[in-house]
Amino acid sequence: MGSKQKNGSRFGMVIDLDRCTGCGSCMVACAVENNIPPGPLDANERTGNTWIRVQKVDSGLPFPQAQTAFVPVTCQQCGDHAPCVAVCPQNAVEVDPETGVVGQIPERCLGCRYCMTACPYHARSFNWWDPTWPAGMEQTLNPDVSPRMRGVAEKCNFCHGRYHAAKAKAALEGRRELRGEEYVPACVEACPAGAIRFGDLSDETTAVGQAIRDGSAFRLLESVRTDPKIYYRTERPWLRQLAGKRLGKQEKESVRG
Amino acid sequence: MFPGVFGFEWTAGNLIFLGIFNSVICLVLGAIAVAIVRGARDFANGKQDELRWDDDFEELPPTARACRHAFTGEIKHRVCPNGFDCRECTPHSRLLERGDCVADLRAQERSASGFEIEAECMYHRGHTWVREEGDGTVTVGLDDFASRLVGPPDDAELPAVGSRLVVNGSAWNLKRGSATIRILCPVDGEVVATGGAGQGWYLRIRPLNGAMDTRHLLRGGEVSAWIANEMERLQLALSNSQLGASLADGGLPVQDFTAANPEADWDSIYAEFLFGA
Amino acid sequence: MDRQLIPRGLKRSPLWKFSLWILPWCALLAVGIYAIFLCLARGLNQTNMDNRFAFGLWIYLDLTVIALGAGAFFTGFLLYILKRKELKAVINSAVVLGFICYSGAVAVLMVDVGQPLRAWFTFWHPNVHSMLTEVTFCITCYLTVLFVEYLPILLKNRKLRMIPSFLVFEFELHKVMYVLAGVGTFLSFFHQGSLGGLYGVLRGRPFAYREGIAIWPSTFFLFILSAIAAGPSFILLTTTVVQKISGKTLVKREVLGYLGKISGSLLIVYVLMKSIDTLVWLNSTSPAEGVQPFEFYMWNPFGTWILFAEIVLLGLVPGLMLLTSTIRNRTGWLITAALLTCGGVALNRFVLTIQTLALPTLPFDEFLSYLPSWQEVAAFLAVLAYGVLFYSLSFRYLPLFPQERELAHS
Repeated sequence: MGSKQKNGSRFGMVIDLDRCTGCGSCMVACAVENNIPPGPLDANERTGNTWIRVQKVDSGLPFPQAQTAFVPVTCQQCGDHAPCVAVCPQNAVEVDPETGVVGQIPERCLGCRYCMTACPYHARSFNWWDPTWPAGMEQTLNPDVSPRMRGVAEKCNFCHGRYHAAKAKAALEGRRELRGEEYVPACVEACPAGAIRFGDLSDETTAVGQAIRDGSAFRLLESVRTDPKIYYRTERPWLRQLAGKRLGKQEKESVRG
Repeated sequence: MFPGVFGFEWTAGNLIFLGIFNSVICLVLGAIAVAIVRGARDFANGKQDELRWDDDFEELPPTARACRHAFTGEIKHRVCPNGFDCRECTPHSRLLERGDCVADLRAQERSASGFEIEAECMYHRGHTWVREEGDGTVTVGLDDFASRLVGPPDDAELPAVGSRLVVNGSAWNLKRGSATIRILCPVDGEVVATGGAGQGWYLRIRPLNGAMDTRHLLRGGEVSAWIANEMERLQLALSNSQLGASLADGGLPVQDFTAANPEADWDSIYAEFLFGA
Repeated sequence: MDRQLIPRGLKRSPLWKFSLWILPWCALLAVGIYAIFLCLARGLNQTNMDNRFAFGLWIYLDLTVIALGAGAFFTGFLLYILKRKELKAVINSAVVLGFICYSGAVAVLMVDVGQPLRAWFTFWHPNVHSMLTEVTFCITCYLTVLFVEYLPILLKNRKLRMIPSFLVFEFELHKVMYVLAGVGTFLSFFHQGSLGGLYGVLRGRPFAYREGIAIWPSTFFLFILSAIAAGPSFILLTTTVVQKISGKTLVKREVLGYLGKISGSLLIVYVLMKSIDTLVWLNSTSPAEGVQPFEFYMWNPFGTWILFAEIVLLGLVPGLMLLTSTIRNRTGWLITAALLTCGGVALNRFVLTIQTLALPTLPFDEFLSYLPSWQEVAAFLAVLAYGVLFYSLSFRYLPLFPQERELAHS
């Protein structure tokens, strides 16, 4: 389960793969919340900037047993020995002891992309272009989140802007602790199927705290021992089996986006 | 990087890593600093002539570095290890002590291989002659071999009166065509008078302390043996340097080798015979 | 026209002919500089790298070039520390090559990173757990050392030598050269190794991940070994090429044979270590990470032939060739063996950079392909052109080969 910080929380997610419909609302909400610049016309799914990506996964069986599932993959918020933290030459990535969130300092990032090589979950995006928004679209920018400059890597940070806003609000009310629904990342809020649940993993009273303790949740690439905080659930055995492997020979490509 | 920078922690990893790197940087900068300081000291001590000569001497092929006693046959096949500075040489002083060296036993001839040899003059390997005047000074000039090799110079750059010269350092420069030929100084001392190409002598030098040390200069019977050897070397160099004509055996050397063999690599030849280029 | 700048006693081609040689390389350099300008002005979207292929042609070629440039430090080590005087004939050329390789690699790195102006952040906020920090520190220090080692060669230029302060400084610098050679060896040992360590520590990439000793994965030691094996071969190759192009004999034949012998012996040691490491990886490390090694080689075109090529064709074969004196004494075979050695090192770096990134890491990933864009190729060709120009100028105006004079006269 990983180390429990003394006074801090360990925020994590449990994503129900049997509920995810592959609609992609989480991807849109994330982009809007975090001021992710829209890519130019020649961007593709490998150069485009997205902090959460919904992967399409097939069972590989022929009709009528053919099945499809959708797996949202975001930064897995690995534990203390996160691969990206260990390899950044400038200490631009660190695990926040208070929240367990792996945060990135864009102003310090050199753009060497070693973290992207190290991340086995392909959670990180690089700003290949200068961030530009079409005329008029700058009005959609979120004032609580700073956009990043060209040439730096970035990734999901569990909508840290929202965390700070929630802490500020709690402080105004004289509290240090956050209550359940006060802080949820944009993707959690946007998901119409409620597939993504978010909360403090170290707190057994929360929904996620219970879900990870009842044995039904699993994580991707357990054997790499990254100790991620994103758990997945599914009742489907083929999906469970596939997700437990290191390499599968996948015929289809992932969802474009 | 350093304590005091935000984010620095006194962990073992930081200490070892940054300790090693800061040491390496100090070592490299230290080595460069030592080189600069020593260089400045050498420069202040006027050692640049000595260093330049050491370097130039190393560059010479072994045939140009033969020991003076090899010409006379006193020592067989010896290459000079001292930069022609016989004052420091043990075999040379031993030969002098024995008292039977060719330099003393045989008289100095008036010519060798067609080149004139001045009487009562000692010779430096760089083809300058040295004549001791009665008042303790010496007169220095260019010998016949070098004069004919270079030909009539277009100009001569002489040192100022009062300058200090060292053995194997720069004495004066001759200009011939586009080449500037540096002539090496045969003695240590101070310039008291300057002559010129037309006057038959170039410098008058006074020793700085005591009498002039001339142990490294060629004299007596060994001069002709040396000149004969130089002539052989020159013929080889000229024939290496160009196809076709070189000196016929038995012929007399011309007054102006440079003009007579314009395609030769004079650059190298001046360097191999006059050493100063 | 430039006779006064050419070292005494050496023949060089007339200035017009030299200019003709220089011109196409200048043109290539200009095109490359334009490509670099595009990348710096418009961003790294000018390359074909992407979020999955975060390292591309540039990183791969940087690693190769640094491995080949290891000849500089290793020759210096053999000459100044182990006193192998035969290598005096090639040390100057090796230093120039080393300087070219490292300065070129650093130049390309400055274009490769997203924010080159922030390069100094690594020094201000170093992460001592990261191999890349180690690489940055070592390479920067070593480039400085190489520059200081190049200075005496530069100061030996005929005209520069006439300036007394330069002459004296060069003499004193040469006296402390062994300190710099020692520091250079120490730094090179570590950065060649750390470049290997870059890949060996990636737990998430079981193709590259290796166990090792303490914090150093086996790739750390293998990279050092392969670099010092390839270095002498590279010097051998370049010396031969320069001899061919200039039409002069620059070193005595036994020097080339000696370089070949060193390269061959180190190569055999490397092949042995690499084979052991590969066996350990195939049988223990990779399965422990949950991947059966045959799974890595399921994707075209990277089948098991690549492993065979790397270890046998471009490793064992040239190693044995270089160790056999009859083959070593035939110049044609010597050159072939040296080429194969350098090729083997290049392939090894390729496999660890490109093949590692091409392979999937998640169960629903696919195998990827990547081809560099013209800007990437042009930028690298600019480095090649810079190298040729720098070397040509150094060869023309500086005494790079001490044996040249002697060999020209005989």
